[in-house]
Amino acid sequence: MTGHFTNLVVFSVFVSVVFTFIAKYETRARVRYFFFLLGSFVLLSILAGWLMYPFPF
Amino acid sequence: MQPEPLPQEVQQVQTEAGLVKALGASFAAAVVPGLGHAVLRKWDRALVFFLSISVMFALGLRLRGRLFGPDFTDLFTTLKFVADAGSGLPYWLSWVRGLGTGQAAAYTYDFGNVFIYVAGLLNMLVVVDAFDIAMGRKP
Repeated sequence: MTGHFTNLVVFSVFVSVVFTFIAKYETRARVRYFFFLLGSFVLLSILAGWLMYPFPF
Repeated sequence: MQPEPLPQEVQQVQTEAGLVKALGASFAAAVVPGLGHAVLRKWDRALVFFLSISVMFALGLRLRGRLFGPDFTDLFTTLKFVADAGSGLPYWLSWVRGLGTGQAAAYTYDFGNVFIYVAGLLNMLVVVDAFDIAMGRKP
């Protein structure tokens, strides 16, 4: 498993699955919440990466 | 997002036997990820928690992450140990077998550590979830 993005997505999938099954009880709500969390993890990580891009360290 | 309302049939357990069952489920969840939910017959959640946390832990080792042993010399080392050990049996078995020595030079080292920390921290949430289900606070 190489590549930062792959690791980020794999990490986000597992964390989103666990959060979803802790927080939601019905299948439809679980599916929606899972994709909401997964998208948030990935997009916000990319955004944070771009914001940190100019940092010299 | 609106919080999901609890179903009507959820009622708080306030008996001593209920508390013992809740503590037993929490202990089982702390030892093996998902076992607490299996004890409570929440099979889907038990399977999902067991697979997710175990695979995250194994991937952490595969990514050359390090298992922090019981070392209480400073705060951060202690916190790393607590996060790692949250996984329960997978942590202790790996630690006893000498796995997870970590390769700081590997570029996946930090990823590996984070996978192992978060697997343990997620299992702590799962323990609390098992307790809440056994106490009747959640379906």
